[in-house]
Amino acid sequence: MRTIRLQVNGQPVVREIPDNRLLVDFLRYDLDLTGTKEGCSVGVCGACTVLLDGQPVSSCIVLAVIVDGCEVTTIEGLAQGDRFHPLQQAFIEYGGFQCGICTPGQIMAAKALLDGNPYPSKEEIQTWMMGNLCRCTGYYKIIESIQAVAKGKVAP
Amino acid sequence: MANLVSIGQPAGHVEGPAKVTGRALYTADVTLPGMLWGKCLRSPFPHARLLSIDVSQARQLSGVHAVLTGVELPEVRIGRFLLDIPVLARDRVRFVGEKVVAIAAESPDIAEEALTLIDVQYEELPAVFDPLEALQEHAPRIHEHPDSYTHPPIPEAFLHGGVAEFFPSIPNVVSQVFYRHGDLGAGFAQADRVFEHTFFVPSVHQGYIEPHACVVSIEPSGKINVWLSDKTPFIARSQFAAALGVPEDRIRVNPVSIGGDFGGKGSLMDSVLCYYLAQHSGRPVKMVMTYTEELMAGNPRHAAALTLRTGVTRDGQMTARQAKLVFNCGAYGAFTPLHTVHGGVHAGGPYRVPHIEIACLRVYTNTVPAGHMRAPGAPQTIFAVESHMDMIAHELGLDPLEFRLRNVLAEGDPSPLGEHWQHIRCKETLLAAAQAARWSTEKPPHVGRGLGMYDREPGAFGPSSATLSIDADAKLTLLTGAADTGTGSYTVLQQVVAEELQVPLEAVMIIQGDTDTATFEVGAGGSRFTHTAGLATLTAARELKQALITLAAQRLGCVPEQVQLQAGHFVVADGHSLDLAMLMAWAAEQGAAPLSRTGSYLPTGPVAITCFCAQVAEVEVDPETGQVQLRKLVTAHDVGTVINPLTHQGQIEGGVVQGIGQALTEHLLVQDGAVTTLHLGDYKLPTALDIPELTTVLVETKAGPAPYAGKAVGELSNVAVPAAVANAVFDAVGVRLTELPITAERVYAGLRAQEGRQ
Repeated sequence: MRTIRLQVNGQPVVREIPDNRLLVDFLRYDLDLTGTKEGCSVGVCGACTVLLDGQPVSSCIVLAVIVDGCEVTTIEGLAQGDRFHPLQQAFIEYGGFQCGICTPGQIMAAKALLDGNPYPSKEEIQTWMMGNLCRCTGYYKIIESIQAVAKGKVAP
Repeated sequence: MANLVSIGQPAGHVEGPAKVTGRALYTADVTLPGMLWGKCLRSPFPHARLLSIDVSQARQLSGVHAVLTGVELPEVRIGRFLLDIPVLARDRVRFVGEKVVAIAAESPDIAEEALTLIDVQYEELPAVFDPLEALQEHAPRIHEHPDSYTHPPIPEAFLHGGVAEFFPSIPNVVSQVFYRHGDLGAGFAQADRVFEHTFFVPSVHQGYIEPHACVVSIEPSGKINVWLSDKTPFIARSQFAAALGVPEDRIRVNPVSIGGDFGGKGSLMDSVLCYYLAQHSGRPVKMVMTYTEELMAGNPRHAAALTLRTGVTRDGQMTARQAKLVFNCGAYGAFTPLHTVHGGVHAGGPYRVPHIEIACLRVYTNTVPAGHMRAPGAPQTIFAVESHMDMIAHELGLDPLEFRLRNVLAEGDPSPLGEHWQHIRCKETLLAAAQAARWSTEKPPHVGRGLGMYDREPGAFGPSSATLSIDADAKLTLLTGAADTGTGSYTVLQQVVAEELQVPLEAVMIIQGDTDTATFEVGAGGSRFTHTAGLATLTAARELKQALITLAAQRLGCVPEQVQLQAGHFVVADGHSLDLAMLMAWAAEQGAAPLSRTGSYLPTGPVAITCFCAQVAEVEVDPETGQVQLRKLVTAHDVGTVINPLTHQGQIEGGVVQGIGQALTEHLLVQDGAVTTLHLGDYKLPTALDIPELTTVLVETKAGPAPYAGKAVGELSNVAVPAAVANAVFDAVGVRLTELPITAERVYAGLRAQEGRQ
């Protein structure tokens, strides 16, 4: 067991956890932040993507002890009250999801992209997003959703 | 149908806000007080006798609350149609991954540790993995007494005039269906040439990102609460009740979001086992399959071996076809909701084939049990049909488009199985695809184009119902028992209500009821939902509208016939009017609010209409390595009224990319009976980098059974892609692949073989 101190969605969190606790389980079961999903469990599908100090990571292959002292952002931390983040709005308006299970991960990965590169090309979006699998949409509308935000077509 | 307001407008998913914020509740998100975690020990052998199971050490591990073996459970077999799979293996295991022992513990870690303490002694038995070998007289028999397995009567609507038999006297055959139309002998006698080709399609996984999950909690009253990733909650309740031998009203299936279905989320999977763990431990239990378990022991698409024999005249008219379709059922047939793999009926394709015989077999092997996936059986069958078409065209010296045009169904033609459809748009759809793909234009070297076609009727089976209510604040709520698997089905229902009552979309809430509060609804599947649930919702909306008009007439002091609903206002000819909010405020004062109506719909049989899809793939093949790059894809669809263009297009795009996966990368690889692609790094779903330039063409005809003359779209665009890609590869470099997926290795081998011939 070990105590970790971190910021989750801007809130300070202190918890005692077992050394082998995975970040995805810590978020989902210790903090009840079930918006982060687990798909493949091996860091391939991207469903569990969260931001660790602003960078996207697969929380299913990150030990929670590693995030001690870090800032973690999950899908729950994106909207400001009732106001959606533009990416959330775009995914609805442009059909960027269907079943929704990969969507929190897609949106978090897209946020990291746009935070670092606000005007990505279509190819840059495809390359960045290739680590986030989606079985429903065939990706076209995910790419359109991200492009819409980059082009300022979505009112937050 | 003038002045449609909501219908035909792009609308984002009604459940969007919940899904983009992480609030949507999926089964794995359900946590109950005192809940335990269930895990299974699975068989490492494809076929073995269980000699002994020692669970004594596992039982003693602190935190373990239940350990179950097959012999401790009632001797019951479960399934979607054929009941042949035990909840836990009893005396034999028949595939690698079959469940042998189940454990409920306070954490997943404890449950997994307990699994390592179990000692199972097996005696390996001879196994068979290839369905063609399993048919041979000397093949090991996988089930000793299959005749003892039960199933419901075979529904007439799914027979297509065929003759079906369970467990005929052929080794390991689960079911055999013959579809016949015309006189096969006479048809082949009319042929100038006869061609026969055989194709192999391996299994692919549905690839939903949410693995199967379930939670079971038993109330002190005996009421059983179930949460499970199943797209058909009411059907799940029936199956669950049958498995436990309890009345259906003892079970409540609770609403959850479904994290991808594609046909694969319609079985009980682990939930009955989860019930027994809950019963034995006295605690709620959750089971979530790992993705490795999904790939090893989910219910993937059937692998198939398909032989087609076709007679043609000198001028390229088809006279007869004989098809033998052998589907690898795996070790159990439990995950298929019918007697057969339904897509086999498409072995004639959308063509004039006056004489046909299709034999469709499901065969047990010692491999993972196969289940349903998006247009079950059709991608396999159409890969064979549409590759075969090009191979014949090549032999006849005809352009593949021209050969198809000589044979496509036209208005008035019977389908290969003798159905008479109206509004046949086969040729128009094919030509639209060819035109968009610039079929006849010049191509650079090593670039090829290939065609594929498919048709599928809108689903017309099973009851649908929905209840529409309006409260004193004029808030409209539609209660449905269906789960939205992500296809946008709730949004379609929302649009229907908004259209009929002339209110904005936001004024209509969609609530998924549990199986106690909602009325019976089969749910998503078989391309039925927009049609059947759409019509049930349409009835509810129209009846509620009539009730509101009657109320308005009372308020306005006239007879209902004088009141019209116009742009959200109840209007009388003399100019008096009131809006919905005013009406409902008044209704509340009169004690007439809330007001609700339930609409139901039960189709009486198949609809006399189908939906055509024609696709052209354009590939570039690297002649040095065999690497295939899919540059462009055109998908043309014969559609009715498109109710929601946004989600309609989403269905097309998602389907296309699943087809691309099956064409190029996906292969649930089985070696010595065991799946070896055991994680999503090895099992290669397409990524955002793997998608081609896509052109969609809609050939609209205002005809279809769904509300406002809509058709179906969900199970069309994935089907013909593999054939289109294979045909394009042949066009590009002359290599004909008759087995999927179309890997660089296979194309490379074909190119080298070609060199050897030169």
